[in-house]
Amino acid sequence: MSAASGNSRVESSGSNDAKSRRPRMSVQKFLQEWGVLVAFGLLLAISTWREGFDFLSFENFRTMLNSNAAVGILAVGMTFVIVSAGIDLSVGSIVVLAAAIGVTTMNWAAGREWSEGGSVTLGVAATLATALVAGMVNGALIVFGRIAPFIATLGGLAAFRSVALAIAEAGEIRSSSSTLFAKFGRSGVPLAWQSGVDEAGNAVFKGLVNAAGKPLTLTYGIIAFIVIAIVAQWFLSKSRFGRHVVAVGANETAARYAGINVDWVRFRVYAIMGLLAGFAGLLLSSRMNSVSTSGLGLGAELDAIAAVVIGGTSLRGGFGRVWGTVIGILILAMITNILTISQVSPYWQGAVKGGVIVLAVLVQRGARE
Amino acid sequence: MEYPGVRALDDVTVEFRAGEIHAVVGENGAGKSTLMKVLSGSARPTKGRVELGAGLGTPGRAAHDAHEAHFTKPSDAIRAGIAMVHQELNLVPALDVAENIMLGREPAGVFGFPIRRREQRARAAELLAMLGADVDPTRSAAGLSIADAQFVEIAKCLASDARVLIFDEPTAVLGEREASRLLALFQRLRDEGRAIIFISHHLDEVVAVADRTSVLRDGRLVQQFARGEHDEGALAAAMVGRDLGSIYPEKGVCDAKATPAIELVDFGAVGRSRGISLAVRPGEIVGIAGLVGSGRTETAEAIVGLREATGTVRVEGRDVRFRSPREALAAGVTYVSEDRKGRGLHVALSSIANTTMPSLDRYARVGGARLDVAAERATTARWIRDFAIRCARPELPISSLSGGNQQKFALARWLETGPRVLIVDEPTRGVDIGAKGEIYRILADLARKGLACIVISSELPEVIGLSHRVVVLHAGEVAGELPRERLTREDCEERIVRLASGLSEEKERAS
Repeated sequence: MSAASGNSRVESSGSNDAKSRRPRMSVQKFLQEWGVLVAFGLLLAISTWREGFDFLSFENFRTMLNSNAAVGILAVGMTFVIVSAGIDLSVGSIVVLAAAIGVTTMNWAAGREWSEGGSVTLGVAATLATALVAGMVNGALIVFGRIAPFIATLGGLAAFRSVALAIAEAGEIRSSSSTLFAKFGRSGVPLAWQSGVDEAGNAVFKGLVNAAGKPLTLTYGIIAFIVIAIVAQWFLSKSRFGRHVVAVGANETAARYAGINVDWVRFRVYAIMGLLAGFAGLLLSSRMNSVSTSGLGLGAELDAIAAVVIGGTSLRGGFGRVWGTVIGILILAMITNILTISQVSPYWQGAVKGGVIVLAVLVQRGARE
Repeated sequence: MEYPGVRALDDVTVEFRAGEIHAVVGENGAGKSTLMKVLSGSARPTKGRVELGAGLGTPGRAAHDAHEAHFTKPSDAIRAGIAMVHQELNLVPALDVAENIMLGREPAGVFGFPIRRREQRARAAELLAMLGADVDPTRSAAGLSIADAQFVEIAKCLASDARVLIFDEPTAVLGEREASRLLALFQRLRDEGRAIIFISHHLDEVVAVADRTSVLRDGRLVQQFARGEHDEGALAAAMVGRDLGSIYPEKGVCDAKATPAIELVDFGAVGRSRGISLAVRPGEIVGIAGLVGSGRTETAEAIVGLREATGTVRVEGRDVRFRSPREALAAGVTYVSEDRKGRGLHVALSSIANTTMPSLDRYARVGGARLDVAAERATTARWIRDFAIRCARPELPISSLSGGNQQKFALARWLETGPRVLIVDEPTRGVDIGAKGEIYRILADLARKGLACIVISSELPEVIGLSHRVVVLHAGEVAGELPRERLTREDCEERIVRLASGLSEEKERAS
């Protein structure tokens, strides 16, 4: 090297077997891709260890799914929103508004001497229609008003619940239907059938039964959640709409240049999210057979977003998977379950959940770069 | 230096001297960028080392001896006096020019407070003046032209007193005139005793300014030339390892009386261009030349509905006004963006998804609920074969391909829609010379089959070699047009440059 200032010199070479070597998946890469399954397996093992093999029973999973079906449905819709590089903070408020208007309409019809069937049908329709309209309002603000999704739906978070509170003066709206309306949230399809009668005259069932020999039911909530999740996964990965959502989320400008109607795609995403929030609202109000306007769906948006993120969907958009979200829901349910059984104060459960969410993001960071 | 399965650099030894402009050339994937990454600290060699000469080094250690460098991150290299000016410029748009230049080196009191703004501006102005850049240090960095942003970026490097400046394809985004301004600056910086290293696909500028040129091929250093030892032909031959001949295909004939496939009448992009009248017939390639900022891209974007437009567009004789690329596409008018990574392609998505994106409706079954993936695959495979695209696994993100292969997909996705008018913006930006020739051949073949083509390019040999005629824009207006017979004359390049810089015939005569 000469002594002149500013010189630099590079030498570099590779090893001899470099060309024959195949790219190997590193531990980090593996966790980025499949971390959610690893976490699920770990939690399953821990839960079984803490609670015994009963934890793995059908009945236990049925209970967990049933109590989380509504949030699960929200999370499925949220997966699309987040894949499109958006966010919807208003879903919990759409739930309560749709349920409040639905039950109010139902009671109004019942007061006008409608049949129970007629008034319940009208109430269900009002619930879903309200939720769809709320979603469309979000979509219109974001697409035509050019407001950032975070801000537009933050407005919805405050406004939609406020309308529900005003309708009921912050109180509870009881359903006038004595049994029919509550069926959606409480009953389901029995998984056993009567095979005969024993000596004491009690019915004997074949199929899935509980410890007392009574048939287990797959609740309508679980069925709705599973069907919605399967259809959604299909649409996200196999349909034209799904491809467009991914394209818009990955790079909105490039999508516009490619001739995709970006506005229409985003509008539909928020409208669908609204409609799904309507299903969640229906499920929750039916289960209680009433709507508590101050409590129903409160904070549900955070649980839904958490499940999506834990499931490996990129918060920056452009990549996502519904099955990951479903496992995310189960993970959140299992954590609550374990903490409750281990007698951890409910006040601390939020901290643990928060930690899990941050951990999920850390592990999956850079998965799609 | 190696990546999984591939050795990006193989036993390369290069010396970069102070007071020297050193060009590094090679086809895409030859290892140029990897070499620069090693030098600037963003990649670490698996074998070998970087040695720094005297005068370079971390503050606090004796800098008079040559020593080995251990860069683990780019800031290590910067501290040692090696700065890299990336193709994607990294200015903070919310700050003004002076704040950008002095970023991280703000003159300030103890504990970094307060920043002495006047001193900061004075220092920035001094650096800009030294570079001969006409940029107001108090203006915002947002909305700077690419050329000015580049000068600000260089001023930023000088603020950290960089002794070695590395440029990755610095002129790729510049027009002819800005490019020569930059190259003149290189010479001044060299004369101050700095080492300038630059990667370039423009062999003419390499021959013109480089004191030494290193040619890389397949990760190896195949040849080094000193100034005056080489010409463009020798460089190109060394790069591809064979002789190239002319890379421009023969121009096809086109019927001058046919109805224009597309016609612009008094057309313009609001605020960017105006009064443009132009007709392109089937089988014709019309080149559009002009400096960066002359409104070429904006006009094209206005045609396909990406910007507000004035005037009239006629497609096959019918008046149209597209409000989105989607409507343009339906009428057979397509635009291939100059910005491949940001707009032209979805770099994070697979080659298959990219290929079928504009024509996705064709693969929709059951009302769009299902996409015929097998058919998408088959289409992609067909383009891979037809365009000789090097892409072993089309289901992987398209970002894994080289620039040339990405560009072929960017063309293929639009050709798949069966357009009658193709507007290509900078068709060979960041593409190596081998792939360039193939893209030229593809465009010429398409024209011969009756496609009307508008080629926007900053590379004059490209516009001249490819087009039947060339329209030159200056400041958003047509400054002149060169018909086919003028394109074979020796002086046509000079003529285009004059028109593009706004020298009208009258002014020429007057001077």
